[in-house]
Amino acid sequence: MSQYQRPGLKKIEEFLYHETGLLDRMEIRQWIDLFTDTGDYWMPVTPDQEDPINHISIFYDDRDLMEIRLRHHDNPRSHSKDFTIRSSHVLGNVQIASFDESNGDCQVSCNFQCVMYYRDQQQLYAGTCQYHLRLIDGRYHIQRKRVDLINCDAPHGSIQTYV
Amino acid sequence: MSYSVEDIEKLVEPARVHRKVYTDEEIFDLEMERVWGRTWIFAGHASEVPNGGDYKTFNIGSQSMLMVRNRKNDNISVFYNRCTHKGAKLVGDGKGCAKAFRCPYHAWTFDTEGKLLATPPTKTLETSGFAPDDPEYNLRPAAQVDIYHGFVFVNLDANAEGLHEYFGDSLTSIDNMVERSPEGELEMAGGVLRYRHDCNWKSFVENLNDNMHPMATHQSAIEACQGYAQDLPEGSEVPETVHILGPFGSSYDFFEDMSHVVFKNGHSYSGNKVSIHSAYPPVPDYVDAMETAYGKEKTKEIFSCARHNTVYYPSLTIKGAIQAIRVVRPISVNRTDIETYTFRLKGAPDEMLQRTLLYSRLINSPSSIVGADDLEVYERVQAGLHSHGHDWVSMERQKDHDQPQEDGSIEATGSSELPFRNQYKYWLQLMTNTEAVKIKA
Repeated sequence: MSQYQRPGLKKIEEFLYHETGLLDRMEIRQWIDLFTDTGDYWMPVTPDQEDPINHISIFYDDRDLMEIRLRHHDNPRSHSKDFTIRSSHVLGNVQIASFDESNGDCQVSCNFQCVMYYRDQQQLYAGTCQYHLRLIDGRYHIQRKRVDLINCDAPHGSIQTYV
Repeated sequence: MSYSVEDIEKLVEPARVHRKVYTDEEIFDLEMERVWGRTWIFAGHASEVPNGGDYKTFNIGSQSMLMVRNRKNDNISVFYNRCTHKGAKLVGDGKGCAKAFRCPYHAWTFDTEGKLLATPPTKTLETSGFAPDDPEYNLRPAAQVDIYHGFVFVNLDANAEGLHEYFGDSLTSIDNMVERSPEGELEMAGGVLRYRHDCNWKSFVENLNDNMHPMATHQSAIEACQGYAQDLPEGSEVPETVHILGPFGSSYDFFEDMSHVVFKNGHSYSGNKVSIHSAYPPVPDYVDAMETAYGKEKTKEIFSCARHNTVYYPSLTIKGAIQAIRVVRPISVNRTDIETYTFRLKGAPDEMLQRTLLYSRLINSPSSIVGADDLEVYERVQAGLHSHGHDWVSMERQKDHDQPQEDGSIEATGSSELPFRNQYKYWLQLMTNTEAVKIKA
């Protein structure tokens, strides 16, 4: 019998709610700490994009860039962040796409809608998220969060924070 | 109001412009006709349409255009994207490959050379009293199309001067970008980023040669980057992200040394001798490929030219040293879409394109910490210029220190606002030209 058991959907959903809750509360420090040291956050600019390295993306942040982005956000002279950013995620259709019983890794997908409010303007971001979750010391960490906006290839104004 | 030549002349003084040039819809409409309708506008790159029938659409202001690689002779044509029958937009926005273009309304069908091929139903055509072989029914080409090292430009005015004459020595920036390929050729690669800017197009274009804003506008990004780099454990490898963001934090003295060169017709570049792109860590395989292709001496000369932004007024800005371009697409007086494209240097290792893409993500993406602070100030300018408290926008800095050169260009120190004055000099010349644009060659 394998060392790792396929997790129940509820456990996965709880993790995703926790993760997007950190974003909604702008607890970016704790959110970054959910990622593995080599983890990344990827928002492609085309549907079905295969490659974050040889093709442009809207976001493709490693831990270095996450840390720099956090410092930028907290800097008092970051004028594009002068106002409070508020967001609200709703997740649905959560599915465990695959489970690796050799190490406990999960590939998870869900649909999402994220309403983001910044300085009198409300944006709706919607689409699909895919997570590669790794089990480290019994807790899930994010190896990759991929966010596919349904309007990924539209002209976007500034996207103020992680979706 | 309806602007007379005298009214327009009152908006531009040698070192300041009236706020209406950024905020008045009527001025914007005139610009689309007199500036964008008469100058060489970037359409796309030849490598975007490598095969016969490949096409893409793009806009010049309100004009939807269609760039296509002809199936018969491999040339690239640019047409007005309008069916010659009832006026429907012939091709939906985007790109693809077509055998022919068939209008969705009455199936009028055009070949890739723009010739009308069919107007169904053919059965009753002979007795219909209309002659579809009249050349008036062929797709209307842009008055002038010319290609420089694969960069396809169009001019909607048949009377306008030719491309080489129009851009003059500013074309040396494209030369350098192309020479950075060991094979002397560029290929557009890595997709496009489209960034919506709720500001006037000129605010964006001006900022590309504004050397005095990074220390204020990007102070937060710089401090974030420097702070992170300083806190890295001793002996850590410096991430490429820091190499790219770091130079934005150069001193006022450095940006002063990043001097300007301007040309007639509003074109300019900064970073004449040195720029924020001068000191990236070398990629050994790339340097080897370049030295094999050009020899050591010539390679050094090519790399020594690391200009910052070159503005090909009004539609294109390039960064040759990083192989990224930004294309200006005005939508309305207070909205502009910026498209960022990247290039593969043919014969160079993939690492070069990957660095270009990293740069573009860090600086030109809607998620960028640099681009967002730029956009914030453009949008504040757009809002601020509605203030009745002040009518004028100042561009006086270093106005008495222009250095005219023998070749007709003008140089100035990095803090000079010469590039803006130079743009408005040409803008005024175009905007006060009331002659009708000649759309047919």
